[in-house]
Amino acid sequence: MRQKLTDAGHFLRWTPWQVRLSMVVMGLGQLCYGQIVKGLFYLSCLGVFLFYFVTTGFRDLVGFFTLGTREENLWLRIPGDNSLTMLILGLFSIFILIFVAVLYVTNVKDAVYTARQKEKGRAVHKFRDTLRTAADSKFHITALTPPVVGVTIFSILPIVFMICIAFTDLGGDVVYPKLANWSLSPWQKILSLGKIGSTFVKILGWNVAWAVASTALNFVVGLGMALLLNKKNVKGSKFWRAFPILAYAIPGFISMLGFKFMFSQSGPINWYLDQAGLMRIFFLTNDASAKWWARGIGLFVNAWISTPSIMLMTTGLLSNINTDLYEAASLDGASPFQQFKTITLPFVVFSTTPVLISQFVGNFNNFGIFFFLRSGVISNYADYFLASDTDLLINWLYKLSVDNNYYSIGAAISLIIFLITAALSLSVYVRSAAYKQEDTYQ
Amino acid sequence: MKKMKLTPRRAADHILTYTLLLVMSLVFLFPCLWLILASLSKTGSLYDFKGFFPSAFSLQTFIDLFTDDVNGLYPYKTWFFNTLYVAVCSALLGTVLVLLTAYVMSRFRFNGRDTIKKTTLVLGMFPGFMGMTAVYIIMTQLGLINHLESLIFFYAATTPVSYMVQKGYFDSIPAALFEAARLDGATNLEVFLKITLPLSKPMVVYTMLTQFAWPWSDVLLPKLLLKDRNMWTVAVGLFNLPETHFARFAAGSVFIAIPIVILYFCLVKNIVNGLTAGSVKG
Repeated sequence: MRQKLTDAGHFLRWTPWQVRLSMVVMGLGQLCYGQIVKGLFYLSCLGVFLFYFVTTGFRDLVGFFTLGTREENLWLRIPGDNSLTMLILGLFSIFILIFVAVLYVTNVKDAVYTARQKEKGRAVHKFRDTLRTAADSKFHITALTPPVVGVTIFSILPIVFMICIAFTDLGGDVVYPKLANWSLSPWQKILSLGKIGSTFVKILGWNVAWAVASTALNFVVGLGMALLLNKKNVKGSKFWRAFPILAYAIPGFISMLGFKFMFSQSGPINWYLDQAGLMRIFFLTNDASAKWWARGIGLFVNAWISTPSIMLMTTGLLSNINTDLYEAASLDGASPFQQFKTITLPFVVFSTTPVLISQFVGNFNNFGIFFFLRSGVISNYADYFLASDTDLLINWLYKLSVDNNYYSIGAAISLIIFLITAALSLSVYVRSAAYKQEDTYQ
Repeated sequence: MKKMKLTPRRAADHILTYTLLLVMSLVFLFPCLWLILASLSKTGSLYDFKGFFPSAFSLQTFIDLFTDDVNGLYPYKTWFFNTLYVAVCSALLGTVLVLLTAYVMSRFRFNGRDTIKKTTLVLGMFPGFMGMTAVYIIMTQLGLINHLESLIFFYAATTPVSYMVQKGYFDSIPAALFEAARLDGATNLEVFLKITLPLSKPMVVYTMLTQFAWPWSDVLLPKLLLKDRNMWTVAVGLFNLPETHFARFAAGSVFIAIPIVILYFCLVKNIVNGLTAGSVKG
């Protein structure tokens, strides 16, 4: 600690006046060294930031903590504070503060670098040199800046925003012009025994069952198709393989909407039922009897869409099996079924475990299937809160936060989904790391 | 190898195998065939279809698709060009961003590399559209609601998070190549443009395709951000077609599915490699 302090003291005594200028006002030091373009760039950044902070930034920052203090007054025509917008603008101002702080540090570092160069008697970097550094020794910074900025604005900022919202009472009755507050009420609502809580438990149960069932079905069918196409007596396997690839190539939403029409109330299947003198079946409609039909159709459509990709993956894996193993096995008199059980299956299961888990995660969060098959269906016959009996957590989240403005509860649910997904994905990560070291199998 | 004799057991195996193959192909082919034939039907509404297949055929639906927008309700031609614009722009921009990220993460060791790695890993675990509400508000603040550019920005800006497949590819290029070029005095930018990119054509093609296919078939985001019928993309438009316009839906679907299907069949090898690499690494 003392060592660090004395180091800092040395540093401050050494610094030339230009560096100190840069410490006070970003860019001034660079200007005094004659680096006009760079100095002006830093200065203008500072100027823009100060302008932003004085005009709106500071107010936004305060708004992040208060979430609005002034309610709309229709009589006096005073527009009120919108808590939702204030929250995100406040977050934005915090991000800007961090960004400017980083810029400030780079500015001081840059001035120190130039001072050191001068001490050694080297020429001060001209603008052209700066550009060359950006394309060469600092290429990683230049190249990563646009992606990092983009991801920060459109991916990190929204996610942080949602995490914040999960700890407010925004949404439901509390929307503009009412003011929101920081609170734990969404969590209380989910974990208590009210309508929201019971809906959550029901949907979570179905969600887990769906993920297990659809992953198992897809994997078994996909593996079966790969084995079938791999059989020695199949001629023209390229031709046969084209059909699943066709299904794989069609944009998913088209297949799903197509199946929706096929099973619709006046669709072809119901027409045939009609012709056969049977009752029409409520496959996907808002009817109590549709529950298990819709779930079954969901499983089927999901399998139709995703088994081809599993087939393609496992085909690749199957070609990696050492064929000597089979020859040795058949010399020992093992039947084809025994060969499958002792060679193929362990190999495939072992090498596809990461795939299986990521498939499980994908199915757990499979938004599309029930969004397209049963869009707009809300089961009001039972005690489902703004959800249908086929909805997964992620569909419910969409209905809550996008369709019905229940922001805070939706955000809390997405945090729960995140925790489940994260736990599963981490296990994939750990496994695949372990998998890389395991060369012993085979 | 001498020819195997056709024993009853072997014959049964043959029959079973080919029956299964036939069933499989039918299951996958039938819905596609159904949509294609429906797009060629003379009647438009699902109510007029007697069973699966139409009784009379004509090309009228395809012509109507582009010429008759039913009083501005279904302007397919506008939707199509909107989609094309969004998909092409975000494919180009997104590919550049994701390739840069992957290349830097593959070849450079610097402070903060680990942070970026961990952050992207965590970001990938959040449900995809968790931040939808926030994205909507951000776009409102930027004044981009009802503008196609909002989609391009979002698609392109969020792609670098999934850079792992591309990184894996760059990792496999021998480092000696880069070092030789560096010794010859090439800057890192030149190494990237003149050595890495030409060597990574399959990966560039794969990235372009996936970056193109996503906006081409996304419904959620355009549905949220584009309010005006004339600004919609094809996916949103098709999503909103009712049963009475079933033939129109089928024709519109067939029309936008064909280019993607052809691309997939041409590039099936690249896709399989990408799939396996992506899935193992999570």
